[in-house]
Amino acid sequence: MKVARGRLLRNVAGTLGLLAAVAAVAVGLPAADRALPASRPVAAAPYLVGAGVTVIPPPGALLDVTATRPGADHGTALFLLGGVRFVVVVSPFSGDVEAAAGRLRTKITGVRGNELAGAESVTATATGLAGRQGGYAAPGRLGRYAVFRAAELAIEVTVAGTDPQLRATLAAVEASTRSIAFRGAAP
Amino acid sequence: MTDAAHPATHARAVDGRGARTAHVHPAPRAHSRTSLLLPAFWVVLALTVVGAVRLSGFVRTSFAELPVATAVAVGLFVCYAVPLWLFVAALDHLEREPALLRATAVAWGGLVATTISVPGVAALHNLIAKLVSPAFAATWGSALAGPTVEEVAKALGVIAIVLVARAQLNSVLDGVVYGALVGLGFQVVEDIAYALNAVALAGHGDSVRPVIATFLLRGLLAGLWSHTLFAALAGAGIGYLVVRTDRSMASRVGAAMLAFGGAWTCHFLRNAPLPSGGLGGGPWLFAGLVLKGVPPMVVVALLVRAARQREADYNTAEQAAPNDTRIATAAGLHAFGSGHLRVKGRRYPFARAGMRGRRAVRRLQRAQAGLAVDSSRGGSGFRWFGRAPRERSRLVAIGHPEAHAAKRRHRSGPLLAAALAGAAFAVLLAVWLAILAVCAPSL
Repeated sequence: MKVARGRLLRNVAGTLGLLAAVAAVAVGLPAADRALPASRPVAAAPYLVGAGVTVIPPPGALLDVTATRPGADHGTALFLLGGVRFVVVVSPFSGDVEAAAGRLRTKITGVRGNELAGAESVTATATGLAGRQGGYAAPGRLGRYAVFRAAELAIEVTVAGTDPQLRATLAAVEASTRSIAFRGAAP
Repeated sequence: MTDAAHPATHARAVDGRGARTAHVHPAPRAHSRTSLLLPAFWVVLALTVVGAVRLSGFVRTSFAELPVATAVAVGLFVCYAVPLWLFVAALDHLEREPALLRATAVAWGGLVATTISVPGVAALHNLIAKLVSPAFAATWGSALAGPTVEEVAKALGVIAIVLVARAQLNSVLDGVVYGALVGLGFQVVEDIAYALNAVALAGHGDSVRPVIATFLLRGLLAGLWSHTLFAALAGAGIGYLVVRTDRSMASRVGAAMLAFGGAWTCHFLRNAPLPSGGLGGGPWLFAGLVLKGVPPMVVVALLVRAARQREADYNTAEQAAPNDTRIATAAGLHAFGSGHLRVKGRRYPFARAGMRGRRAVRRLQRAQAGLAVDSSRGGSGFRWFGRAPRERSRLVAIGHPEAHAAKRRHRSGPLLAAALAGAAFAVLLAVWLAILAVCAPSL
């Protein structure tokens, strides 16, 4: 059984084309994505996270646009302060603040290596949104979390970085966390 | 024979229509060993193995973390795929595609297309956010990135089939079948992944409620106009590109691009945030889902109908070629050329002679199809030449010599169509209400 030379050559050409198209999708697009910077400067003014929730980013923070997704009933914003990641997540939630804190703790400890550290305490934003805050530890990193309730929403805040990075930025991050406000109607 | 008209007359009549639009290139008998000598075969095999390894890793992790939800998701969506697989495979009932190629198409969709789409869609989503804005990406990212990457990944599956077994894609209908099978594989794997993501997001442990919700929403409600349909449309274009060698390359490429554009647009409309709102969007969201899905479904249904008709015309002409009324009469050829007349042709003897009559007509139709396909491949048709007259003798013996539909005209068609459309709408509505009543609280 033989394959004619012409057919074989056409098949080789077609196969190379197929491989090129597969590579363009699976490798080329991610490469193009990596080639463009993901972070953008963001003004220290109220930034809409989503669902009517705003936050004033820490001065000098950069916004990671690939992990930031505002929405009508939910939203996520990721700010970078050097090596510190400051994440605000807004999502629909019908339970009380204790339940919201429980859900966030479950998320944190669901990540391999994460452990809660210290006691949880009561906190509030400047606009009076009640919440809870605490700390956690991950291999080589420390983290802090806070959770607030507003209308039918849960607002989750997590901050993570190495110990020196976190110490250097904690005051700015706490000020930013206190600036969280709910300015719109819940869905 | 009761019919005096010569079969060749009918054959010439259909030949005109077939020659104008059809172009069915006879497929040779499947020689899978020839494909082993082609580099495309080994590349497709390697990509499939890579995809299988990646998917098995995902399934293994899911089984370890969410054993019940994973088992239910895999079981539900695999069961869901079986009738769709049978339906798609039966579209080209006269000349079914080789099982190995059908399996290859599904494997490409489920293993390769999903594997390359995951990083591709994520990267394009990020690029949209970087080049436009995060808000734009949040609203339109899925509508733009999903079709752009996934439709390409699925269309590559049909091209892979062409490279591995070019001769088996011998009509536009074959392109539809292979495209639909690629889309089916993709849809099943994607739905399983969505179901397991929903379980993880719900945060209630190893719960099956999000799986059921995903199955109802993505499988039953929106699944009928999903990847299977889009890829079938793109496959039709590739089929045209490959088969219509009588047309200029520009028009063939144009037709293929048009079909791909249609698939992209259907996918875009499905992902577009119109109407907006979540499950709580109520009846408007339900109406939006139906409005988004029905037009592409109708377009593909018409396309399939036309392609089947062309292929039936071609095979009818092949069958008529022997000019032997023991094999086919003019009335029998007329019925043979149409799917619903073939069904009526079996129903009619059932009314007159019971199961015996129905079975005999079915066997005769099978012999006629076998003869047509065998003749088109340049075979002698020896096996079928003997069988068709034997089945005809059986029909003569039970007093029903013709394999045609009843001549009596009745007006039940529009009524039946309206009843079917109403029933389909009622089923969709019931699924929608089930989603709202049972699963919405967990979403």
